[in-house]
Amino acid sequence: MIKSDPLSRRLAAGDLDAPRQLVERHHAELYRYALALLRDAPAAEDAVQETFERAFAALGKYPEDRIKALFLRPWLYRIALNVVRNAWRERRREVPVAEMPEGTGGRLGTALSSAPGSDTEAWLDTLAALERLSERQRVAVALRYIEDLPYAEIAEIASWPEGTCKTLVRRGIGRLGILFSGGSDGKGGR
Amino acid sequence: MNDEGSRRVGEESSERRVADLLREVAPRLTPGGDPNRLVERALARGTDRVFTCDSPLGEVYVGVSDKGVRLVGRTDSPEQFARRYRERFGRLLSWGKDARTRRLAERTAAALAGKKIEVPVDLSETTSFQRRVLEVVAGIPRGEVRPYLWVAHEAGSPKASRAVGTVMAKNPVPLLIPCHRVVRNDGAAGSYAFGARAKLDLLEEEGVSPEELAALLTLRRRQRASSATPPAATPGGFVPKIVGLFGPSGTRRPPDTDPARCATPWWPE
Repeated sequence: MIKSDPLSRRLAAGDLDAPRQLVERHHAELYRYALALLRDAPAAEDAVQETFERAFAALGKYPEDRIKALFLRPWLYRIALNVVRNAWRERRREVPVAEMPEGTGGRLGTALSSAPGSDTEAWLDTLAALERLSERQRVAVALRYIEDLPYAEIAEIASWPEGTCKTLVRRGIGRLGILFSGGSDGKGGR
Repeated sequence: MNDEGSRRVGEESSERRVADLLREVAPRLTPGGDPNRLVERALARGTDRVFTCDSPLGEVYVGVSDKGVRLVGRTDSPEQFARRYRERFGRLLSWGKDARTRRLAERTAAALAGKKIEVPVDLSETTSFQRRVLEVVAGIPRGEVRPYLWVAHEAGSPKASRAVGTVMAKNPVPLLIPCHRVVRNDGAAGSYAFGARAKLDLLEEEGVSPEELAALLTLRRRQRASSATPPAATPGGFVPKIVGLFGPSGTRRPPDTDPARCATPWWPE
């Protein structure tokens, strides 16, 4: 029997320190996830804010038992994924893909640390390449390799069967590999 | 190794490289600036705030939205207050340590201590009738009481005495909106969220004595008996302070020269 999260129980009980703990515990990983998918620091911060706003709204309305039984991490990632998908939809509506400015790496580039031994250009290329994947592959690869989550949790977050998650990750990494080996993926190359 | 094989090996090493790059970049995807700012912003938007406050009835919990005070109460624990707040308003509470909440806490403490200071009250979750009633009650001056009937009349629903009683019972902000100054039509003190004893204690502290409350009852009976003549002084020889210089709508009227004469009876006949 999986033990429930003590923080869930404290949220259910009305612990006044619990909301702050929820944000402190999860905001860094949710920001990392949003940034990898949106490649824009202000947009990522907005996405994390919206995620917590939706989460708190839900926690205000859920019955106590439901809150107690929540697995907070996959639940928050699922909300964040919905928020990111909305942001993607907005982008597609506002800016035709062909006209996407090349310089979006700049907004992300400043967000990456320039510690010695850093491979900033390669990292930026990697994240840019993520955008060449299908949405589902992008989501799966980010959850597996950026967030380092087990497949069972990825399946819960995205509501896909576990097998599908593994396939998506395999194919997504495969495609990225082709892009990085200089090969053409048949969609305009590097 | 044939071409296909070496191509596959090349791809695999690229895949490994990409996987490594993704893992490397992950810890570097951190927000710039103060991470605490992100935390504070999330809490400010997602939760309502709570603080404790001294009051004439001891320490109370006060729950506030960004529009003002929403709930005042005394519970066995802060968690119990938070659960009540969540049931009523569908919002989580977090400790209000931010500057804005601290300022509101200072104002609230001053108001509860009896100072004439305005405290914003968020009644957005009430019906318009409830709001009208609570606004009328908010105008009842310290040291005075009014019956349900008067409140109903002032709120524009003269027949809604019972409903006024219900609004009083559900008053989300006792002490700030002084439902303890509302008494039963027959002059008895009536019930109170913090207990009938607390109601009498509060009224006494504000300058209304239980004797005066009793006198109210006598006054009422006397008025029924002879509506034309002003009532005589009550037994014991003192004039109830509650029938003072304020007319029915709480506005100041010119003082009567004879302090023993009551103002126009403020029960609508």
